[in-house]
Amino acid sequence: MASIARSSALLKQVAAKQSVAATGLRVAAFHTTSRKSLLPPPPQRIEGTVNDPVHVPPTSPSHGSYHWTFDRVVAAGLIPLTVAPFAAGSLNPTMDAILAATILIHSHTGFGNIIVDYVPQKRVPTARKLFTWGLNAATVLVGLALYEFETTDVGLTETIKRVWKA
Amino acid sequence: MAALRSSSARVLAAASRPAFRPVVAARGMANLADGATHSNHASDGQSPKLKTFQIYRWNPDTPTEKPRMQSYTLDLNKTGPMVLDALVRIKNELDPTLTFRRSCREGICGSCAMNINGTNTLACLCRIPADNSAEMKIYPLPHTYVVKDLVPDLTLFYKQYKSIKPYLQRDTPSPDGKEYRQTKADRKKLDGLYECILCACCSTSCPSYWWNSEEYLGPAILLQSYRWLADSRDERHAQRKDALNNSMSLYRCHTILNCTRTCPKGLNPGLAIANIKKELAF
Amino acid sequence: MIAQRAGTTALRRVAAAPSSVFKLATPLAMQTRTFQTDKLTPADASALLAKQRLSRPVSPHLEIYDPKQTWFGGSAWQRITGASFSGALYASAVAYLAAPLVGWHLESSSLIAAAAALPVAVKGGLKFLVAWPFVFHAINGVRHLAFDVGVGFGRSTIIKTGWYFWGASIVGGLYLAFFM
Repeated sequence: MASIARSSALLKQVAAKQSVAATGLRVAAFHTTSRKSLLPPPPQRIEGTVNDPVHVPPTSPSHGSYHWTFDRVVAAGLIPLTVAPFAAGSLNPTMDAILAATILIHSHTGFGNIIVDYVPQKRVPTARKLFTWGLNAATVLVGLALYEFETTDVGLTETIKRVWKA
Repeated sequence: MAALRSSSARVLAAASRPAFRPVVAARGMANLADGATHSNHASDGQSPKLKTFQIYRWNPDTPTEKPRMQSYTLDLNKTGPMVLDALVRIKNELDPTLTFRRSCREGICGSCAMNINGTNTLACLCRIPADNSAEMKIYPLPHTYVVKDLVPDLTLFYKQYKSIKPYLQRDTPSPDGKEYRQTKADRKKLDGLYECILCACCSTSCPSYWWNSEEYLGPAILLQSYRWLADSRDERHAQRKDALNNSMSLYRCHTILNCTRTCPKGLNPGLAIANIKKELAF
Repeated sequence: MIAQRAGTTALRRVAAAPSSVFKLATPLAMQTRTFQTDKLTPADASALLAKQRLSRPVSPHLEIYDPKQTWFGGSAWQRITGASFSGALYASAVAYLAAPLVGWHLESSSLIAAAAALPVAVKGGLKFLVAWPFVFHAINGVRHLAFDVGVGFGRSTIIKTGWYFWGASIVGGLYLAFFM
């Protein structure tokens, strides 16, 4: 029985091939894969056998839950700090400094998240180190600049307000 | 023995019908814009409802060839309502080399997960929109390594599933020595979690998983992880949480929520991940 | 049918008498293989699989996924707007530090003067270009905080609120740009 089953399958295949040729199915080249991407995915490699679980990273709450909760607290803290100048018309220098500092922290962790997402430690460890320390250095510089600006100039919210109304 | 008998049967059968009868005509071809099909339709008294399917093709036997899109046109009058019906029909009648996974055809095995018209879903649960004549585009699950055509390699996905220890872990025996009981309220917590069939639609819809699938577990595995965190009978909650508490495994989730929007079973991986984050945070 | 049965009987006889001359014509001799298979050790098989894996393409993702979800779901723009603002902050802060060394004037008074000198249309356009991302990031940030406490996860809720927040951010941006 096996032999006849196989031969009929072959027949079908031949017939299908002929019909494909006869009706001229359209075949379009797939364009999008030719585009160059910044960090293209590497060829597939699987560590260990199919039956091994993937490696579970060591627990580190400072990069995990503490970091996440801190991020949310800062973000939530920005809500009243952002609403206040709209409600009060302006901010006193202390509140303005707090706002500037919170924005700086929010920016720093935001950039940090972007780096963790797009500069993978496993694939480009050197670039990762470079970006992380570059960000740290930049944040220190920006902190210095904000301190200068807050202490010598009119303050962040006041500047924005005046430029806006200009 | 079997070979002898069957070949003789074939000879007999061949004698009993016209020798040059084309096989395809007997089966009622699915297609196409040629004269023969049109005359067929005229005899049915039904106008053909043609629909074109563009399907991603890549053959591992010719690995240097780039993936391409191939078009197939079917008459919807002769095709079942679901995309899987169309795929099966294409494979049977137009192109037997088209490769895809399928098994249950009722949304319980998760084999036929693929990207249909831009959204991941199960082909067997996805209706062919009959009201318009727009072409349907079918791709394998996004950002997966393609084994062939619509078949993605889910090895990493399963290895990640294994890493969360998807089974009941406990040391204390049950009080009555028979079964581990839980209250109705506790059991209710597992609703919306245990139904997951691990089709990988949600994980492969997640941009975070696209960029970091090596380390980020992805929505499906995290939903499964929460299924065991939410289980009142499990006694390894602390260890399970510790395993997720690092920068990559869980916290690459940025609530993009493609997962919840795509789940073909109507589950909510986004909410499950939010619940894990809440449990870990406070 | 009869011929077939006769053949079967003959074969049975052959099977019963192994010393027969017909032994040579066993059905086994008629089976021919059209293809060759190789026996592989498990190690060889996994090596072959590993080699095949290396040539596999990655299926298309961002370019084919529903743009309503990837691009207009809000999360992507939360990051784009946030990174733009933070980038602007970092750039201007560093410029402010460097200004005395390079001779630029970036004090608030000169900035205000520069803004005042712009034509009204340009001013309004620039203000909207700043105001829209600000409003979007602010209100969508609140939406994300709501997600983080487990609110608003219904499938239709996600889709609806997504569009509401787009609308609200544009309205808010226009208000800030032209009525503040």
